[in-house]
Amino acid sequence: MFFMKPESPDRQLIALIERVAQADESALRELYELTSSKLYGVAIRVVSNREWAEDVLQEAFFNIWRIAGDYKATLSPPMAWMALVVRSRGLDFLRRRASDRADLMQELDDVISDTVAGDSANPMDTTQASEQAWALHQCLGRLEHKQREVVSLAYLRDLSHGELAEQLKLPLGTVKTWIRRGLEQLRGCMARFA
Amino acid sequence: MNIQNNPSLMDQLAASYALGTLRGGARRRFETLARDNATLRAAALVWQSRLSSVAELQPQEAPSPVVWKRIENLIKADKEARAMQAARAVPSAMGWWSSLGLWRGGAAAGAIATLAAVVVGLNVNGRLSGQVSELTAKLTATPEIEYVAVLTDDKASASLLVTFDPKNKTLALKRVGNFREQPDKSLELWALPPGVAPKSLGVMSADPVVRLTAAGTDMRQVPTLAITLEPKGGVPPGSGPTGPILFKGALIETPK
Repeated sequence: MFFMKPESPDRQLIALIERVAQADESALRELYELTSSKLYGVAIRVVSNREWAEDVLQEAFFNIWRIAGDYKATLSPPMAWMALVVRSRGLDFLRRRASDRADLMQELDDVISDTVAGDSANPMDTTQASEQAWALHQCLGRLEHKQREVVSLAYLRDLSHGELAEQLKLPLGTVKTWIRRGLEQLRGCMARFA
Repeated sequence: MNIQNNPSLMDQLAASYALGTLRGGARRRFETLARDNATLRAAALVWQSRLSSVAELQPQEAPSPVVWKRIENLIKADKEARAMQAARAVPSAMGWWSSLGLWRGGAAAGAIATLAAVVVGLNVNGRLSGQVSELTAKLTATPEIEYVAVLTDDKASASLLVTFDPKNKTLALKRVGNFREQPDKSLELWALPPGVAPKSLGVMSADPVVRLTAAGTDMRQVPTLAITLEPKGGVPPGSGPTGPILFKGALIETPK
């Protein structure tokens, strides 16, 4: 469910994905050049380790190569769809490494304490951003930093309230409240862009 | 607790479902409820759409150049594997079909008939024809493409779920909000193709589900649908909308 202006980056990405679906290698390369920095950023957020994120990025693009024909049937803007592929490959990667619990938890602790404790602004590179992402960005920007991080982590890492509370070392009630408030504010804000 | 009477709770559950924090038994109960409840389905769709952009908003970082090299190698290996299948002297039926790109879905009936004829011509032994009829059966069962739209009001609350069945050429409109027009008014559905006048798709009756006949040509190239409030019975045929737009939404193509 998204609206596109005629010259939007979305159209360019959609055209490239269409060509990839026809096994056009140069289209995949162009897609990579346009989106790999963004998607590498997503991979890092999902698996919390740059080396692992490289593997995930590679698996994701190979996956995109294989399933580009399915994109048209989805409800997502192109960048969101590709980011979801990265998220899925990232979660698969983490599950495969679950046996290596010790170093996995250490990595997660480091990155999480950086993100939640910090007071970072809400930067956004507007190149290749879909209309919907722009609206979401505006709305997320109005959330408190903590609420924003908790909602993002819940979504990107597919975590339950309990898992989030454990990883962020926060009370369960706090996590639930932040997520509930975050979603309420998002709903009201996104309604204005609808 | 009768969830149907609590729209705010329904929306919260739909949001939690889309976010991923609804788990286990609660998640299964939601899915069961949503199967029969169009309002819940519509709300979950709206939230899934909103949240899908969270993945897009993460900070960027350039990966090392070696990553593209590895992807390139994987692609080359994949292409070679497919080319080898296609190039075999008596190609396996799978090799033919995949190299011809038919597994992308949505193959036209004409293409299937043509290829069936080609493969029958190449049929050099009985074993091949068994595989062919199996594959032809798979190809003719390609999924029907449907169109779907969730029409929302100015508060982004879902009010109408619209599905188009091209096989039977009907539009099904299901009311999912609490809006009820007054007895002297009617709701009329419009297709809004870009750059041309809106085209009426019909007037809604008071029933919770309304079926209208529609041609596939009406739905193609239409990015948006809208509902306006009109006098009872709608506007005269050929004239445009006279009342305010109450609900609108984007039309999406999706396989069943």
